[in-house]
Amino acid sequence: MKARVRRWLEEGTVDVFIGYRQVDGHPLPYCFTRENLDALDGLINSPARYALEKIATHLASRQPDLKIGILSLDTNRRALNVLGIWNQINPENITTVDADDAASGVATPDDMRTFEPVVPGPYKQQVGIDNAMSPADAEAFDQSERFSRWMYEFEKCIKCYGCRNICPVCFCRECSLEHRDLIGTGPLPPDVPIFHLVRAVHMAGRCIDCGLCEEACPADISLRLLYRKVNQILDNVFEYQTGSDPGQPPFSLLGNQVTLEPKPLDADK
Amino acid sequence: MECELVPSVCSYCGTGCGVLFEVIDKELAGTLPMKTHPVNEGKLCIKGWNLHEHINSPLRLKQPLVRSFGRFLKTGWDEAIAIAARRFREIIDQYGPESVGVLVSAKITNEENYLAMKLARAVLGTNSVDHCARL
Amino acid sequence: MTVKRVRFLQDLLEFTGLAARLHLEWISSAEAQKFAQVITAFTEKIRKLGPSPLAGAAPWAQASVAPPAVDRAAS
Repeated sequence: MKARVRRWLEEGTVDVFIGYRQVDGHPLPYCFTRENLDALDGLINSPARYALEKIATHLASRQPDLKIGILSLDTNRRALNVLGIWNQINPENITTVDADDAASGVATPDDMRTFEPVVPGPYKQQVGIDNAMSPADAEAFDQSERFSRWMYEFEKCIKCYGCRNICPVCFCRECSLEHRDLIGTGPLPPDVPIFHLVRAVHMAGRCIDCGLCEEACPADISLRLLYRKVNQILDNVFEYQTGSDPGQPPFSLLGNQVTLEPKPLDADK
Repeated sequence: MECELVPSVCSYCGTGCGVLFEVIDKELAGTLPMKTHPVNEGKLCIKGWNLHEHINSPLRLKQPLVRSFGRFLKTGWDEAIAIAARRFREIIDQYGPESVGVLVSAKITNEENYLAMKLARAVLGTNSVDHCARL
Repeated sequence: MTVKRVRFLQDLLEFTGLAARLHLEWISSAEAQKFAQVITAFTEKIRKLGPSPLAGAAPWAQASVAPPAVDRAAS
């Protein structure tokens, strides 16, 4: 695969290839260019996932005609689909290499610590939400218990904006979470649950379930579960699977594809 | 289009989280956490996430400032150090060495903190050494 | 568009424990009776549900404590 990337760089199929390389003992994202083809010998796959497509969007915004190659897993490909739908990248300028292809010849270093899901401690299991739960498990609680458990999770938030910053499909220049007339940046801690519910609503049609937000949260809030529920609602009610098809319209423009009636008042009895 | 991802350590507090700087065309464009760094394991606080803005901020001081008649005037390093030394001397002569103190910081290295402590105790003659967080 | 957003939000609020507090109804200005009917029914439904679990969470909801003044101009 290294040979393939080298050929791409030499021929001009890509101008820059974003993969991973071992730097100072850490597998880090690295931009391989044709000026330094020898660096390709160090191309590796990394168990520590980074949002490589986010770096691609930053490059594309500065130079839209730049041809970018990306080492990608299926989450990266879903993210690229969503970014293409929202015009953040030009899909014609992006070439992907499948990292999960065993025959790729790109090694994952053996001594790298694999990122196992963390088993929650007893207190979190007792009053909070287990991050590894599925939406169906989380719906086993009744309304008031759901509320108190989710509030326990949300109240830990320190408003670091890590979930928003690392998200590969978050690109709004005027983010609602920072807008001074909506949720401003100043006051800490954030208003719960508004902060997280606003983010969840904005993730509709964008979240591709990569889990980077949960990994970046210093307070270990069950963000991935919340956004998984968002995706589930989209699938059940609107039959929209985010990121599955680069040709689908963005979620906000479903038009007459979906016709719904409002729920009647006594629907919850 | 040059893109480099430079690993570094956050300078804001004593924790020292690992960060990754996105340097595009020699310009600091963004900050990412380092997933495999043992200190932070891929998480950052809001100060760490915004290092790229902090480093390039136009509000950063580029020259020492001295307060003159209620206003801050730019000055050179030699002059600033001379003014500080002179005023320390005057205050210590008038009120004694216990009247001055030194504040250290988590944003400077342990070695620099040690030097500040030595300056306070051996040179100025005070044992009032405290931390900027106590301000 | 509205019905999609409201339906989505109703499902999401139900997931996090704030169910049945959002309702959408289309009523023209000529349907005054329907308006009164829907409002009364919804008010009754909310009364039965009780105060929102978020009510009283903020300290200023409990006593005559003013909310912290946020200097919006500075942020």
